[in-house]
Amino acid sequence: MTARRHSAGGEQEFAEERASLVRITFGPLIWAMHFLLSYAGAAVFCAKFPHASEHLDLLVWGIGLATLVALAGIAWQGQRSFHQWRKGNEDSLIEEDADGSSEDRHQFLGHAALLLAVISAVGVIYTALPAFLTATCR
Amino acid sequence: MSGCEGPQSVFRTGGSDAAQLEHLFLVMLAGAVVLWLGINGLFYYASRVSARPVSRARVEALILGGGVGLPVVVLTALLVYGLSIMPDQRAPGDGLRLRVTGEQFWWRVEYWPEGAEAPVVSANEVRLPVGRRTEIELAATDVIHSFWLPALGGKTDLIPGRVNRMSLEPTEVGTWRGQCAEFCGLSHALMAFQAITLEEAEFGAWLAREAQGLAPEARTAEGYAIFTAQGCGGCHALRGTEARGTVGPDLTHVGGRATLAAGILPMTADALTDWIRDPAAFKPGVEMPGYDHMDPDELATLALWLEGLR
Ligand code: HEC
Ligand SMILES: [Cu+2]
Repeated sequence: MTARRHSAGGEQEFAEERASLVRITFGPLIWAMHFLLSYAGAAVFCAKFPHASEHLDLLVWGIGLATLVALAGIAWQGQRSFHQWRKGNEDSLIEEDADGSSEDRHQFLGHAALLLAVISAVGVIYTALPAFLTATCR
Repeated sequence: MSGCEGPQSVFRTGGSDAAQLEHLFLVMLAGAVVLWLGINGLFYYASRVSARPVSRARVEALILGGGVGLPVVVLTALLVYGLSIMPDQRAPGDGLRLRVTGEQFWWRVEYWPEGAEAPVVSANEVRLPVGRRTEIELAATDVIHSFWLPALGGKTDLIPGRVNRMSLEPTEVGTWRGQCAEFCGLSHALMAFQAITLEEAEFGAWLAREAQGLAPEARTAEGYAIFTAQGCGGCHALRGTEARGTVGPDLTHVGGRATLAAGILPMTADALTDWIRDPAAFKPGVEMPGYDHMDPDELATLALWLEGLR
């Protein structure tokens, strides 16, 4: 970890960077959990009530609720990443400075986390769409 | 565009489900053409028409708008459209139910009219009433097959151990061709079938005939004696007789089918003769033995008799 070479460096900065490394997985993790919940939920539900049309609303609204919660989590994570990336990097919309300082790396991790949050949000919505548009166990 | 015509074409539809899929294809095609023109147009513009440096802000707007925003919008629109037609494609049938079981290399077909307690058994041909939505259950016993009848609808796999469902609503009277669309062994490509769509009344009459057992006069004919003596009944059923085999297709009304051996030979006495003498010559790996030891006259009599079982 070359971060230590920099003035602000040391153990504390390393710990902080590790936290933001872990944080970039949050978006995809929420997406994965939402995916699992939606598919497993639908599979179990349709196995229990194969001909259910009256109970189906329950499943659809369950998935809808899970989707809202997942999107809220991703949005929260996304805006944190946005700030991490933009702090001290206000001039560009798509790039951070690339001097290789620990500050740049910090920004880069924020940028990566933000992009992952965006793709996770799209993934969550696409996962949920079939529940609303097909709404059948067939 | 003659390649798009014919009994097995997604562009010559005879049912509402296939028409919907054709429409889906055309929408996708139009979208792809627009995207292709747009992207290549931009390439051309940026490299030939106006090849000069662009401001950073514009580049970033282009990347975010064209690289993130536009694909998300386009894909979402296509996904919503695609998903919105799924309920139609999966609509339940309105009475008649078919059960089609894939076998190496033929189709077991059962008709379950509404309220029926036992099916009308047939094989290698699917008949459907026009204007009705018929539910089709798809099963398999050996390996995975796939039921594909492009003129009437989409493609669905037949998977051992589970029952898949599709439903078809033919809108036009006609004879169509279907094909096994999942590699299932040596004669996979020779596992086809005919689909015949009939007016409802005509369909009802046909089903009533198909439900009957072997005609009494067929039973007293010489062909029946040969059939019994050769032991064909160990594998094939002639309903209402001692022949109760289920290894091969039900032959009670075999002569009434449009084709022989799952869509690969014409239903003629000559073809039947050739088939019985050496089925593997037409379908490698077939489960029916050859009868080349039979007396040619007996074989011809048997074939002619089978051809007459309507
Ligand atoms: C070991 C079982 C077995 C025996 C015995 C047998 N068959 Fe078959 N037969 C089959 C199978 C399996 C098929 C399906 C072949 C395919 O298309 O893959 C078949 C197909 C046929 C077909 C075509 C059916 C259709 O729907 O087009 C005819 C006709 C036929 N057999 C006649 C006979 C006759 C006549 C005999 C006796 C001389 C006989 N078979 C003996 C297993 C058998
Ligand atoms: Cu097959």
